[in-house]
Amino acid sequence: MAILKIGKTVLGSLFNKPATLMYPVIPREYKELTRGHIDIVMEDCILCGICSRKCPTNAITVDRAAKTWSIQRMQCIQCSCCVDVCPKKCLTNESTYTTPDVIKIVDTFEQPEKPAAAGAATSPATSPATADTAAAPAPSADATLKVNDTCVFCTLCAKKCPVGAITVDREAKTWSVDNDACVKCGVCVEACPKKSLELS
Amino acid sequence: MAKRTIIPFGPQHPVLPEPVHLDLVMEDETVVEAIPSIGYIHRGLEKLVEKNEWPEMVYVIERICGICSFGHGWGYCKSVEGNLGIEVPKRAEYLRTIWHELSRCHSHLLWLGLLADAFGFESLFMHCWRIRETILDIFEDTTGGRVIFSVCKVGGVRKDISNEKLAEIAKILEGIKKETAEICDVFIEDGSVKSRLVGIGTLSYDEAVELGAVGPMGRASGVAQDIRTDGHGAYSELESFAPVVETAGDSYARCLVRIGELKQSMEIIIEAIEKIPDGELEVVIKGKNPEGNFVARLEQPRGEAYYYSKGNGSKFLERIRVRTPTNANIPALVKTLQGCDLADVPILILTIDPCISCTER
Repeated sequence: MAILKIGKTVLGSLFNKPATLMYPVIPREYKELTRGHIDIVMEDCILCGICSRKCPTNAITVDRAAKTWSIQRMQCIQCSCCVDVCPKKCLTNESTYTTPDVIKIVDTFEQPEKPAAAGAATSPATSPATADTAAAPAPSADATLKVNDTCVFCTLCAKKCPVGAITVDREAKTWSVDNDACVKCGVCVEACPKKSLELS
Repeated sequence: MAKRTIIPFGPQHPVLPEPVHLDLVMEDETVVEAIPSIGYIHRGLEKLVEKNEWPEMVYVIERICGICSFGHGWGYCKSVEGNLGIEVPKRAEYLRTIWHELSRCHSHLLWLGLLADAFGFESLFMHCWRIRETILDIFEDTTGGRVIFSVCKVGGVRKDISNEKLAEIAKILEGIKKETAEICDVFIEDGSVKSRLVGIGTLSYDEAVELGAVGPMGRASGVAQDIRTDGHGAYSELESFAPVVETAGDSYARCLVRIGELKQSMEIIIEAIEKIPDGELEVVIKGKNPEGNFVARLEQPRGEAYYYSKGNGSKFLERIRVRTPTNANIPALVKTLQGCDLADVPILILTIDPCISCTER
């Protein structure tokens, strides 16, 4: 019996395909969810810096002055935390790995100049409108932030604002937004416990 | 009396996957005393809690260990959830249980392979790891990571497994069950394997209790303790199961316990897949920070682990503390090493399934 069993195993091993892949001749198959590397669509990025602050390993650096977003590939642990917190959803998790190298790679992405006629959807241009004007309900890139009278001046929006554009004075019960600084990320709208804020 | 010599064992040694150092006091070929020392792989992960906000800290905690990483993430989340006083949705608890039990399967298969490697049975080692590979593929398919999953978060889980995929996993597990049965037969019945394991490093019930042995190390000596039977996660809703216990207390018994648990884990996963309810994946936590102390306990593949967290109402936890099973099993290891042959030292170190990176963090 033992001979039959071992004979079967030997024959199987002789004629079966090897259990390992002949890498790199046969490339590795990635699964749909594989966390390979983080990619960014720079056109949509508003350089708010939330990804950089939430990154557990400080792998991401956002330079608002130079308009660049950079990532240290060796430091990134592919936890996808940045993908989750990005208010504009411009970060994605790609299933392929970056090419290997002998040095620690830092990938820097520059924000392209805003094309004037490239369509309004990807253009968060500075809005000429004031905070008090009425607008359409659909939020868009050149929307303005408005507050209604249900506001309780809890300051949560100001605390959550990635660029510090919101000022709330609890004593004087005033709420104001610096429209030039506001990046329309919608973080404050999401954070508001009274749902008093609207981006429209 | 024979002359005593001291042989330094580790931190670099072919049999050790991770660095631990032992000073073996020898009389001829017999170990009289073993003095362990650790501290080669301390990374200060607990300190990082001061730099990372509590929701993001889970991704750091997961990296305490590469084998039971999901358990560490779950333990941390349980502890913070206890602090926040929130209850996790049922589906999330089931998914966590499934991933955790799959981790136990791959951990035990890895250990069986390493054990085979330690006594020089190379082909058995390769077959164990070949089967383990299928489980790693399940992980990659469902979480995106083969080793570190990053799916557990405070309040629930980040990713869902569709019911079709769960059925697929159950099917794959049926196949794995058949393959492991073949492999396990070799461990249980093969004469050469038995000659290296039976009667080696015996730890009695009293010694195991006194030295605080946990997990398979304790259960092989008759200590019927398994935190899963307390009913956390989805375990309370699954059919009650008894801890796998052996009474011999030797290396062979530890091997049998792990083989038993491997089979038991696969049954648990299949049952959980049958019973998993539909529903939410996470509770949204807004404007709330952990405050107070909480201790969570979890049965890791290597034994019972503690997770303590202390919050002060801010975004940063004040302290977290993890006590890992290897830490609890080192005194038992030192005891089993006394009186053994030098040639058996590698096997005895392996039978506690040491994870030094867990122990030191």
